[in-house]
Amino acid sequence: MAEKAILYDATRCTACRGCQALCKEWNENDEVIPAVQGGVKERNRGSYENPKDLSTRTWLKIGFNEVEHYDKLDWLFSRRACMHCTDAACVKVCPTGALYRDEAYGIVAYNKDICSGCGYCADFCPFDVPRLDGNRILGKNKMDKCVLCTQPGLNRLEIKQEPACVKTCPTKALVFGDRDTLVATARQKVAALKAKGFTNATFYGEKELGGLHVLYVLNDTPDKYGLPVDPKFPSTATAWQDIIQPLGWTVGGLTLLGLAFNFIIAREAKMTKELPGKAGKGGKKHVAE
Amino acid sequence: MSQSKAVVQKYARATRLLHHIHTAAFIILFITGLVLFIPQLGFLAQDSWTRIVHRLAAVVFIVAPIVYLVMKPKAALRAVADACTWGTEDVGWLKAAPRYYFLCDEEGMPAQGHMNTGQKLWWFLVIVFGAVFIVTGLVMWFLKTVAPAGLLQWMVFAHDVAFIVTGAMVFVHVYLGVIHPMMTEAWQAISKGTVSEEYAKSHHGLWYHEQVKEENTAPPPEPKEVVEVH
Repeated sequence: MAEKAILYDATRCTACRGCQALCKEWNENDEVIPAVQGGVKERNRGSYENPKDLSTRTWLKIGFNEVEHYDKLDWLFSRRACMHCTDAACVKVCPTGALYRDEAYGIVAYNKDICSGCGYCADFCPFDVPRLDGNRILGKNKMDKCVLCTQPGLNRLEIKQEPACVKTCPTKALVFGDRDTLVATARQKVAALKAKGFTNATFYGEKELGGLHVLYVLNDTPDKYGLPVDPKFPSTATAWQDIIQPLGWTVGGLTLLGLAFNFIIAREAKMTKELPGKAGKGGKKHVAE
Repeated sequence: MSQSKAVVQKYARATRLLHHIHTAAFIILFITGLVLFIPQLGFLAQDSWTRIVHRLAAVVFIVAPIVYLVMKPKAALRAVADACTWGTEDVGWLKAAPRYYFLCDEEGMPAQGHMNTGQKLWWFLVIVFGAVFIVTGLVMWFLKTVAPAGLLQWMVFAHDVAFIVTGAMVFVHVYLGVIHPMMTEAWQAISKGTVSEEYAKSHHGLWYHEQVKEENTAPPPEPKEVVEVH
């Protein structure tokens, strides 16, 4: 099966946040708005952007960026959720295998049952996406993030349906399909934008982290959309998983082997010393030296 | 004093207690941490079980030495000072160690103090990596949501390095304490607190003779109480 992807065309997005709402509805992540008498307990943050951040119950949100855009102030919208990297740092550091690369779709799938709550995925994600919830003092947590609608029992891909966010998008800013096809589409779109005079137009996600499975058509540079310009696989993840951990096994193994070796030699030497008659030569030689 | 069964006290009761409590905490921390090295054992970490146990053991690991430091400040500081005092006998130990530990050849081994050079090295390891464990662990535990991700990455890394170094060296420590053919009474020293005079003379000569000197200038009490210990 060909790898799948979502293409987000920022130039078509109206920030209606239907994707945000249906993501919650489909994945049973109800939002609770703390209520007080006569209203809600919520503060104005000076933006239409809501909620404030991703959370274990908000796997997708639309960002509202007020930025200088070709010499005038503009409002640029951007989709924020798991990018489903090919070289996913979270998969690399996940100690239980709860996060894994789904070979069929190419996405970062998640087996929530075996999540230990360590939060390494959150520490190492170049996009700051995974969120944890639980008891910080006890360390009893569970992580959550977008799984591209592959939750067990709520798996849309399995029944050949597009993810919920794509399904609900009224402007077709979100499209789901084979990644190769979408890459070609995105290239065309960016070329068209450039021809129209949007010289900074960017196709984001083709090469980043080995290729993202959420592709972006942007008509300005990624930083204007709150995206990291050059996201990198964290070198600490490589150093930790590919160098230190194998080294750890080697050091531990060699230590045990060395001790066993020492024991054999030292016991022999001691016996020789104590009973010089039995294997006298060796013992005497040592004493003489 | 020349009776073969005479014993001297090597480690006081409080010291031994600290050793055993700290060891128990370390073993629990070691096993619950090792789970993260073996994906096949990941199921043990499910629902954060090992993480909760790891935290409980961490509290013991941190609190036990502090309690000891508060209750026995003199002994604790003297032990640290002991480990930091290096002399010619330590250079001699390093030179003679390979022959001693492999060939049981005591010839070149200079007389040692209360802690021999190997024990001093182990002490350094415990202090340095104990501090690394505690600092990096506390950051990961309490500053998870506050600290920048880059810092947390390095905390995980440093915690792992400390785990590997101490994990490997703890095998050496246990081996030398209870398995190596020459260390006949090291286990007795830490479990019962005493070693025979013979063992004290041959393994910790400098310390033994200092004790004898002290004893000769003071009225002779029972052998078990002769030695002021930490």
